Amino acid sequence: MTEPSVLRRYTVPLAAGVLFVAVALAFFALNAPAPFAVFGAMVQGAYGDGFALSISLVKATPILLCALSVALPARMGLITVGAEGQLYFGALTGTGAVLGLLHAPAWELLPAMLGAALAGGALWGAVPGLLRARLSVNETIVTILLNYVAIRLVDFVVYGPWKNAANLGWPATVSFPAAAVFPAFTVHGTTVHAEFLVACAAAAALHGLVSRSRWGLSLTLLRSNRRAASIAGVNYARNAVAVMAIAGMLAGFAGIMQAADVQGRLQPDISVGYGLSGFLVAWLAGQNFLRIIPLSLLMGGLTASADALQLFAQLPFASTVVLQGLLFGSVLALNGWLRRSKA
Amino acid sequence: MLVALKGIHKRFGSVHANRDVHLQIGAGEVLALLGENGAGKSTLMKILYGFYAPDAGEILIDGVPVRMDSPRTAMSRGIGMVFQHFSLVRELSVRENLLLAYPHSPWWQGRAHARANRVLRRLREFAPDIDPDALVSQLSVGEQQQVELVKVLNVDARLVILDEPTSVLTPPEAERLWALVRKLAEAGHSVVFITHKLEDVMACADRVAIMRAGALVDVRDANRLNEQQLVELMMGAGAHSAAIEVDAPASAVARLLVAAVSATRDVMHIEDINLELAAGEILGIAGVAGNGQALLADAVAGFAPLTAGEVILAGNVLHSAERSIAHDPRIGYIPENPLRNAVAADLSNYINLLLRRYSEVAFFPRWEREKTAARALIKRFDVRPPLAELSSGALSGGNLQKLVIARELSRPRELVVACYPTMGLDVHAAAAVYQHLFAQARAGACVLWISEDLDDLMRYAHRIAVLYHGRIVVTVDHRDADRHVLGRWMTGAAAAAA
Repeated sequence: MTEPSVLRRYTVPLAAGVLFVAVALAFFALNAPAPFAVFGAMVQGAYGDGFALSISLVKATPILLCALSVALPARMGLITVGAEGQLYFGALTGTGAVLGLLHAPAWELLPAMLGAALAGGALWGAVPGLLRARLSVNETIVTILLNYVAIRLVDFVVYGPWKNAANLGWPATVSFPAAAVFPAFTVHGTTVHAEFLVACAAAAALHGLVSRSRWGLSLTLLRSNRRAASIAGVNYARNAVAVMAIAGMLAGFAGIMQAADVQGRLQPDISVGYGLSGFLVAWLAGQNFLRIIPLSLLMGGLTASADALQLFAQLPFASTVVLQGLLFGSVLALNGWLRRSKA
Repeated sequence: MLVALKGIHKRFGSVHANRDVHLQIGAGEVLALLGENGAGKSTLMKILYGFYAPDAGEILIDGVPVRMDSPRTAMSRGIGMVFQHFSLVRELSVRENLLLAYPHSPWWQGRAHARANRVLRRLREFAPDIDPDALVSQLSVGEQQQVELVKVLNVDARLVILDEPTSVLTPPEAERLWALVRKLAEAGHSVVFITHKLEDVMACADRVAIMRAGALVDVRDANRLNEQQLVELMMGAGAHSAAIEVDAPASAVARLLVAAVSATRDVMHIEDINLELAAGEILGIAGVAGNGQALLADAVAGFAPLTAGEVILAGNVLHSAERSIAHDPRIGYIPENPLRNAVAADLSNYINLLLRRYSEVAFFPRWEREKTAARALIKRFDVRPPLAELSSGALSGGNLQKLVIARELSRPRELVVACYPTMGLDVHAAAAVYQHLFAQARAGACVLWISEDLDDLMRYAHRIAVLYHGRIVVTVDHRDADRHVLGRWMTGAAAAAA
């Protein structure tokens, strides 16, 4: 249980940032005449004004939630890649509640929608947890496979039974009623949705629980030595299912928020790889719940700046994915290098 | 080859593991490195093997200073080491394990390959009884150790370091090892034999180097010293262990009932085990390693599911084929291989010490209070180094054993199951363990004590049962116990004759 030294704690992010900027500039230089200007436009597009910041926050929220849903199981040694599927399945069950209560008032609709989404996400997380606990089935593989199932299920309902007939060929449900929209408020021109604050609160709560409570120690014990954990009476199966269900709830919450607040309906592409981004953020943050917050904001900004890159430098949308890759590569390379030089 | 260590210093945190050690190892000699647990023997040899870097001092080979920056360097200089924890792949055969470790291993590992057979030459020479095509998982601990040794010899080690080799061996296996060590020395190899057992020194050493608290106390010819002198050098003058007391059990009424218990794990079985223990009774289980001891201990303590039978304590069913409770608070359990079975190695000592009263710890624990409690236990059970925040995996085998005993026996228990509780401990520390163990019996606990040390069993246990091929083949009162008769039961000879 050695904590990284103070020096290491600050030098790694700083050096990784410098490396990332350098590599990103090199990437722009290959594709555009004025790399510094492109980089400037990118930063401007992510955090330059209230509107840009609002968009970045909207993109950062599901990444943050998905990262939490990856980091929590990792505390007990479970490696889940299932945030994407849990996000979709949560959106699916939440939407089911909305479609059933289309004309209900907000105080009925919102809790029903949230409850259904959380339950759906929890189910999609608990299944791999249960398979791991009872049958020792690899949770990583099950979560990957369940991702496909959930994404295709959403496809099925929006192309099929839940499709809004008025949409003609376009696959989507009817628009959600205003009662299904989560509150948002505006500070200095920046719109902050309530779900972002909920996600931050969840990160803080998980951090407190995992680092200070006996439950957090139980998870560490399970990761270290299951037999030693059983000496303490800590049950592997129960914790595996619980942790995976909580993880699913977090991602499921992100899913229904995408449908209700961002798209206003359920449609096939409610996530642009948020599950995977969340996975990377969680591992970059070293499964530290607090470190996940700034990293998610960075990732959200990067995703949000895609439009700016397209407009300013005629770079395709996919270039943000390249930049994501460069960012993660930089951090991982520096981490690895530091670990090696330390050893 | 002449190896010289000069002025070696090594510190771990505030603890001096080695201070100013000067030691020479000559060609073809067997040097016993003798000392208590935590005296710094293993550290010193791990420095020679390039595993640790010394804080000060140098290593000379044939008079030339050498920087041992990794075990690879040490091996290229002809120094090899056999550790207490083997690094064999259990699922592979002996031949495959030897090929894996052999630097000139052919790329295509066909069975008939000439070079593939070369790795077996030393196996045939030093351990002719081992079948090269047997899986390592089928070998006894002693045989696995011999394979490890052959692995080291195959990389042309001229100096072989053996880290507490006899601590995992049965008496006949140890005798075989002593002979093997003498054979190596005659073949011109130097051997460093790390040990805390005087019998090892007497049996096969040319010279003995004695370490105490990180410093080298003395180096002498082995035949110049008697056991008493060795103990005094090792422990310091005037160190005597308190007498170990064992009372007769107060009543003859059975308190622990192991009734027709069977269990299966991997290839191991125990079948139809029936035992009765009165309160305060110590029942010793003798047997050669690998006859189901660990499984029996796990089954009685609730760590292995039963396929049949019941374990009943004071009239309550503890475990049965239907249900079993791992760690009832009335049970104290010291399992075999505590590193794997009793502690979370990468967590701190104070965490591992609180596992048995986990549910009493507050949901938001007050860590300072827990550390204070842990420090008291560490002091009382003499765990060294006495650091509450050290990872338990960093403790030496003996001290880890003490840590587990501190956790399991610091409270009164109704049943104590101890599987090889003194493995890896020196005389002094073993005596302390026996005191804690038998104090539980005096307070009325049933003690099920599994050991390979027949002498200790006959000295302290009230009755001795012999486990052979997963069955209890005989149970005798300690007054009627006879070493040779028990030995015949342990090897199955008596059953064959009957």
